[in-house]
Amino acid sequence: MRLRRRFHTEESHGIDLAPMLDFVLNLLIFFIITAVFVKEFALVVNRPAGIVTTAGAGTGSIPISILGDGEIWIEGRVVDVRAVRPNIERLHAVNPKNGVLIVAAPDAQTGLLVQVVDQVHLGGIYNITFSTSD
Amino acid sequence: MQSRRHTPDSEDHGIDLAPMLDFVLNLLIFFIITTSFVKEAGVTVTRPEALRVEHRDSGNILIAIRENGEIWMDRRPVDLREIRSLIERLHVERPEDSAVIIADKASRAGVVASVMDEIRLGGIKDVSLAAARAGDG
Repeated sequence: MRLRRRFHTEESHGIDLAPMLDFVLNLLIFFIITAVFVKEFALVVNRPAGIVTTAGAGTGSIPISILGDGEIWIEGRVVDVRAVRPNIERLHAVNPKNGVLIVAAPDAQTGLLVQVVDQVHLGGIYNITFSTSD
Repeated sequence: MQSRRHTPDSEDHGIDLAPMLDFVLNLLIFFIITTSFVKEAGVTVTRPEALRVEHRDSGNILIAIRENGEIWMDRRPVDLREIRSLIERLHVERPEDSAVIIADKASRAGVVASVMDEIRLGGIKDVSLAAARAGDG
Protein backbone atom coordinates (compact mmCIF):
# COMPACT_ATOMS: atom_id res chain seq x y z
CA MET A 1 0.00 0.00 0.00
CA ARG A 2 2.74 2.39 0.89
CA LEU A 3 4.69 1.43 -2.20
CA ARG A 4 1.78 2.17 -4.55
CA ARG A 5 1.10 5.55 -3.01
CA ARG A 6 4.72 6.41 -3.25
CA PHE A 7 4.70 5.49 -6.97
CA HIS A 8 1.83 7.83 -7.73
CA THR A 9 3.01 10.81 -5.77
CA GLU A 10 6.73 10.84 -6.27
CA GLU A 11 7.97 8.75 -9.18
CA SER A 12 5.33 9.19 -11.95
CA HIS A 13 6.65 11.62 -14.54
CA GLY A 14 4.37 10.89 -17.55
CA ILE A 15 0.61 11.08 -17.96
CA ASP A 16 -1.35 8.38 -16.22
CA LEU A 17 -2.92 6.36 -19.03
CA ALA A 18 -5.18 4.19 -16.88
CA PRO A 19 -8.31 6.44 -16.77
CA MET A 20 -8.09 7.04 -20.51
CA LEU A 21 -7.77 3.33 -21.09
CA ASP A 22 -10.85 2.70 -18.94
CA PHE A 23 -12.81 5.22 -20.92
CA VAL A 24 -11.70 3.86 -24.29
CA LEU A 25 -12.50 0.31 -23.25
CA ASN A 26 -15.99 1.41 -22.22
CA LEU A 27 -16.47 3.07 -25.61
CA LEU A 28 -15.23 -0.08 -27.31
CA ILE A 29 -17.64 -2.30 -25.40
CA PHE A 30 -20.49 0.08 -26.19
CA PHE A 31 -19.77 -0.02 -29.92
CA ILE A 32 -19.31 -3.79 -29.98
CA ILE A 33 -22.68 -4.25 -28.31
CA THR A 34 -24.51 -1.80 -30.54
CA ALA A 35 -22.88 -3.08 -33.74
CA VAL A 36 -25.40 -4.78 -35.97
CA PHE A 37 -23.98 -7.35 -38.27
CA VAL A 38 -26.74 -7.71 -40.79
CA LYS A 39 -26.59 -10.80 -42.91
CA GLU A 40 -29.47 -10.50 -45.24
CA PHE A 41 -30.37 -13.16 -47.75
CA ALA A 42 -32.19 -11.81 -50.73
CA LEU A 43 -33.43 -12.41 -54.25
CA VAL A 44 -32.73 -9.98 -57.07
CA VAL A 45 -35.69 -9.04 -59.22
CA ASN A 46 -35.94 -6.28 -61.80
CA ARG A 47 -38.69 -3.76 -62.19
CA PRO A 48 -39.72 -2.62 -65.66
CA ALA A 49 -38.31 0.83 -66.32
CA GLY A 50 -41.41 2.10 -68.07
CA ILE A 51 -45.00 1.02 -68.00
CA VAL A 52 -45.24 -2.49 -69.38
CA THR A 53 -48.57 -3.93 -70.32
CA THR A 54 -49.11 -7.66 -70.09
CA ALA A 55 -49.83 -7.96 -73.81
CA GLY A 56 -46.80 -5.93 -74.92
CA ALA A 57 -44.29 -7.97 -72.94
CA GLY A 58 -44.71 -11.07 -75.05
CA THR A 59 -41.49 -10.86 -77.01
CA GLY A 60 -38.36 -12.11 -75.32
CA SER A 61 -39.86 -13.06 -72.00
CA ILE A 62 -41.96 -15.82 -70.51
CA PRO A 63 -45.00 -14.37 -68.74
CA ILE A 64 -46.11 -15.88 -65.44
CA SER A 65 -49.28 -14.55 -63.86
CA ILE A 66 -50.01 -14.76 -60.15
CA LEU A 67 -53.62 -14.06 -59.27
CA GLY A 68 -54.91 -12.68 -56.01
CA ASP A 69 -56.29 -16.03 -54.90
CA GLY A 70 -52.92 -17.77 -55.38
CA GLU A 71 -53.41 -19.27 -58.83
CA ILE A 72 -50.31 -19.34 -61.04
CA TRP A 73 -50.74 -19.18 -64.78
CA ILE A 74 -48.05 -20.13 -67.32
CA GLU A 75 -48.89 -20.27 -71.03
CA GLY A 76 -52.62 -20.20 -70.44
CA ARG A 77 -52.63 -23.03 -67.90
CA VAL A 78 -53.01 -23.07 -64.14
CA VAL A 79 -49.95 -24.66 -62.59
CA ASP A 80 -48.94 -25.57 -59.07
CA VAL A 81 -46.00 -23.79 -57.40
CA ARG A 82 -43.97 -27.00 -57.61
CA ALA A 83 -44.75 -27.29 -61.33
CA VAL A 84 -43.24 -23.88 -62.10
CA ARG A 85 -39.70 -25.25 -62.14
CA PRO A 86 -40.21 -28.01 -64.77
CA ASN A 87 -42.24 -25.61 -66.90
CA ILE A 88 -39.50 -23.01 -66.76
CA GLU A 89 -36.82 -25.62 -67.44
CA ARG A 90 -38.68 -26.68 -70.57
CA LEU A 91 -39.23 -23.11 -71.78
CA HIS A 92 -35.62 -22.24 -70.94
CA ALA A 93 -34.43 -25.17 -73.05
CA VAL A 94 -36.61 -24.04 -75.97
CA ASN A 95 -35.27 -20.49 -75.91
CA PRO A 96 -32.37 -19.90 -73.51
CA LYS A 97 -32.29 -16.14 -74.12
CA ASN A 98 -35.74 -15.52 -72.69
CA GLY A 99 -36.24 -13.84 -69.36
CA VAL A 100 -39.27 -14.18 -67.16
CA LEU A 101 -41.93 -11.56 -66.59
CA ILE A 102 -43.91 -12.13 -63.41
CA VAL A 103 -47.20 -10.30 -63.44
CA ALA A 104 -48.70 -10.41 -59.98
CA ALA A 105 -52.09 -9.18 -58.88
CA PRO A 106 -51.69 -6.33 -56.34
CA ASP A 107 -53.27 -8.43 -53.60
CA ALA A 108 -51.23 -11.57 -54.31
CA GLN A 109 -49.17 -12.73 -51.35
CA THR A 110 -45.47 -11.89 -51.29
CA GLY A 111 -44.68 -15.35 -49.95
CA LEU A 112 -46.07 -16.91 -53.09
CA LEU A 113 -44.27 -14.38 -55.26
CA VAL A 114 -40.94 -15.24 -53.64
CA GLN A 115 -41.67 -18.95 -54.07
CA VAL A 116 -42.31 -18.44 -57.78
CA VAL A 117 -39.13 -16.34 -58.15
CA ASP A 118 -37.20 -19.09 -56.36
CA GLN A 119 -38.66 -21.78 -58.62
CA VAL A 120 -37.75 -19.75 -61.71
CA HIS A 121 -34.19 -19.38 -60.37
CA LEU A 122 -34.04 -23.14 -59.84
CA GLY A 123 -35.34 -23.59 -63.37
CA GLY A 124 -32.27 -21.76 -64.61
CA ILE A 125 -33.51 -18.24 -65.44
CA TYR A 126 -32.12 -15.32 -63.46
CA ASN A 127 -33.44 -12.46 -65.56
CA ILE A 128 -36.72 -11.86 -63.78
CA THR A 129 -38.86 -8.79 -64.14
CA PHE A 130 -41.64 -8.19 -61.66
CA SER A 131 -44.69 -6.13 -62.45
CA THR A 132 -48.21 -5.83 -61.15
CA SER A 133 -51.35 -6.29 -63.17
CA ASP A 134 -53.14 -3.00 -62.48
CA MET B 1 15.18 14.06 -23.58
CA GLN B 2 17.33 12.57 -20.97
CA SER B 3 14.57 12.51 -18.38
CA ARG B 4 12.19 10.77 -20.79
CA ARG B 5 14.63 8.00 -21.47
CA HIS B 6 15.29 7.78 -17.81
CA THR B 7 11.64 6.99 -17.00
CA PRO B 8 10.93 3.60 -18.65
CA ASP B 9 14.28 2.06 -17.76
CA SER B 10 14.55 2.52 -14.08
CA GLU B 11 11.35 3.91 -12.60
CA ASP B 12 8.60 2.01 -14.49
CA HIS B 13 7.25 -0.66 -12.19
CA GLY B 14 3.98 -1.58 -14.02
CA ILE B 15 3.18 -2.95 -17.48
CA ASP B 16 3.61 -0.64 -20.46
CA LEU B 17 0.04 0.16 -21.50
CA ALA B 18 0.80 1.99 -24.74
CA PRO B 19 0.67 -0.96 -27.23
CA MET B 20 -2.56 -2.22 -25.71
CA LEU B 21 -4.00 1.27 -25.93
CA ASP B 22 -3.06 1.45 -29.62
CA PHE B 23 -4.73 -1.86 -30.29
CA VAL B 24 -7.88 -0.95 -28.40
CA LEU B 25 -8.13 2.39 -30.20
CA ASN B 26 -7.84 0.63 -33.55
CA LEU B 27 -10.63 -1.76 -32.56
CA LEU B 28 -12.71 1.18 -31.42
CA ILE B 29 -12.26 3.02 -34.71
CA PHE B 30 -13.14 -0.14 -36.63
CA PHE B 31 -16.39 -0.57 -34.75
CA ILE B 32 -17.33 3.10 -35.03
CA ILE B 33 -16.87 2.95 -38.79
CA THR B 34 -18.74 -0.30 -39.32
CA THR B 35 -21.76 0.52 -37.15
CA SER B 36 -23.00 3.62 -38.91
CA PHE B 37 -23.48 1.89 -42.25
CA VAL B 38 -26.55 -0.21 -41.66
CA LYS B 39 -30.00 1.33 -41.77
CA GLU B 40 -32.15 -1.16 -39.94
CA ALA B 41 -35.84 -1.44 -40.55
CA GLY B 42 -36.66 -1.88 -36.87
CA VAL B 43 -39.51 -4.35 -37.08
CA THR B 44 -39.62 -8.12 -37.25
CA VAL B 45 -41.35 -9.78 -40.16
CA THR B 46 -41.78 -13.38 -41.23
CA ARG B 47 -39.57 -13.71 -44.27
CA PRO B 48 -40.66 -15.88 -47.16
CA GLU B 49 -38.48 -18.91 -47.73
CA ALA B 50 -36.44 -19.62 -50.81
CA LEU B 51 -33.96 -22.33 -51.77
CA ARG B 52 -31.56 -20.27 -53.85
CA VAL B 53 -30.74 -16.97 -52.19
CA GLU B 54 -27.85 -14.56 -52.51
CA HIS B 55 -25.95 -13.21 -49.57
CA ARG B 56 -26.23 -9.43 -49.32
CA ASP B 57 -23.54 -7.87 -47.19
CA SER B 58 -23.44 -4.74 -45.08
CA GLY B 59 -24.12 -1.27 -46.38
CA ASN B 60 -27.71 -2.03 -47.14
CA ILE B 61 -30.77 0.07 -46.60
CA LEU B 62 -33.42 -2.18 -45.15
CA ILE B 63 -37.11 -1.50 -45.69
CA ALA B 64 -39.64 -3.77 -44.04
CA ILE B 65 -43.22 -4.32 -45.12
CA ARG B 66 -45.53 -5.85 -42.53
CA GLU B 67 -48.45 -8.10 -43.31
CA ASN B 68 -50.89 -5.23 -42.79
CA GLY B 69 -49.09 -3.07 -45.35
CA GLU B 70 -47.17 -0.87 -42.89
CA ILE B 71 -43.78 0.18 -44.19
CA TRP B 72 -40.89 0.48 -41.74
CA MET B 73 -37.62 2.19 -42.41
CA ASP B 74 -34.87 3.34 -40.08
CA ARG B 75 -36.75 2.09 -37.00
CA ARG B 76 -40.00 3.97 -37.64
CA PRO B 77 -43.11 3.50 -39.76
CA VAL B 78 -43.09 5.63 -42.91
CA ASP B 79 -45.61 6.59 -45.53
CA LEU B 80 -45.20 5.31 -49.07
CA ARG B 81 -44.71 8.87 -50.33
CA GLU B 82 -41.93 9.53 -47.80
CA ILE B 83 -39.74 6.72 -49.11
CA ARG B 84 -38.59 8.52 -52.22
CA SER B 85 -37.18 11.54 -50.39
CA LEU B 86 -35.62 9.36 -47.68
CA ILE B 87 -33.94 7.19 -50.29
CA GLU B 88 -32.75 10.25 -52.21
CA ARG B 89 -31.06 11.58 -49.07
CA LEU B 90 -29.42 8.22 -48.27
CA HIS B 91 -28.35 7.81 -51.87
CA VAL B 92 -26.57 11.16 -51.80
CA GLU B 93 -24.78 10.24 -48.57
CA ARG B 94 -23.64 6.82 -49.75
CA PRO B 95 -24.18 6.29 -53.49
CA GLU B 96 -22.96 2.69 -53.51
CA ASP B 97 -25.66 1.48 -51.12
CA SER B 98 -28.16 -1.11 -52.16
CA ALA B 99 -31.67 -1.57 -50.82
CA VAL B 100 -33.27 -4.73 -49.50
CA ILE B 101 -37.03 -4.99 -49.13
CA ILE B 102 -37.98 -7.30 -46.28
CA ALA B 103 -41.57 -8.11 -47.05
CA ASP B 104 -43.70 -10.27 -44.82
CA LYS B 105 -44.86 -13.59 -46.22
CA ALA B 106 -48.46 -12.43 -46.04
CA SER B 107 -47.94 -8.89 -47.37
CA ARG B 108 -49.38 -7.88 -50.71
CA ALA B 109 -47.40 -7.89 -53.94
CA GLY B 110 -48.88 -4.51 -54.88
CA VAL B 111 -47.25 -2.82 -51.87
CA VAL B 112 -43.92 -4.48 -52.66
CA ALA B 113 -44.14 -3.25 -56.25
CA SER B 114 -44.90 0.34 -55.30
CA VAL B 115 -42.13 0.41 -52.65
CA MET B 116 -39.73 -0.95 -55.26
CA ASP B 117 -40.78 1.81 -57.65
CA GLU B 118 -40.28 4.51 -55.03
CA ILE B 119 -36.77 3.22 -54.26
CA ARG B 120 -35.89 3.26 -57.94
CA LEU B 121 -37.27 6.79 -58.29
CA GLY B 122 -35.11 7.75 -55.30
CA GLY B 123 -32.04 6.76 -57.31
CA ILE B 124 -31.11 3.31 -56.02
CA LYS B 125 -31.24 0.76 -58.82
CA ASP B 126 -29.98 -2.22 -56.85
CA VAL B 127 -33.13 -3.45 -55.12
CA SER B 128 -33.64 -6.98 -53.92
CA LEU B 129 -36.27 -8.92 -52.05
CA ALA B 130 -35.27 -10.55 -48.78
CA ALA B 131 -35.91 -14.22 -48.18
CA ALA B 132 -34.93 -16.73 -45.56
CA ARG B 133 -32.91 -19.72 -46.62
CA ALA B 134 -35.32 -22.63 -46.73
CA GLY B 135 -34.49 -25.33 -44.23
CA ASP B 136 -32.48 -23.10 -41.92
CA GLY B 137 -35.43 -22.86 -39.55
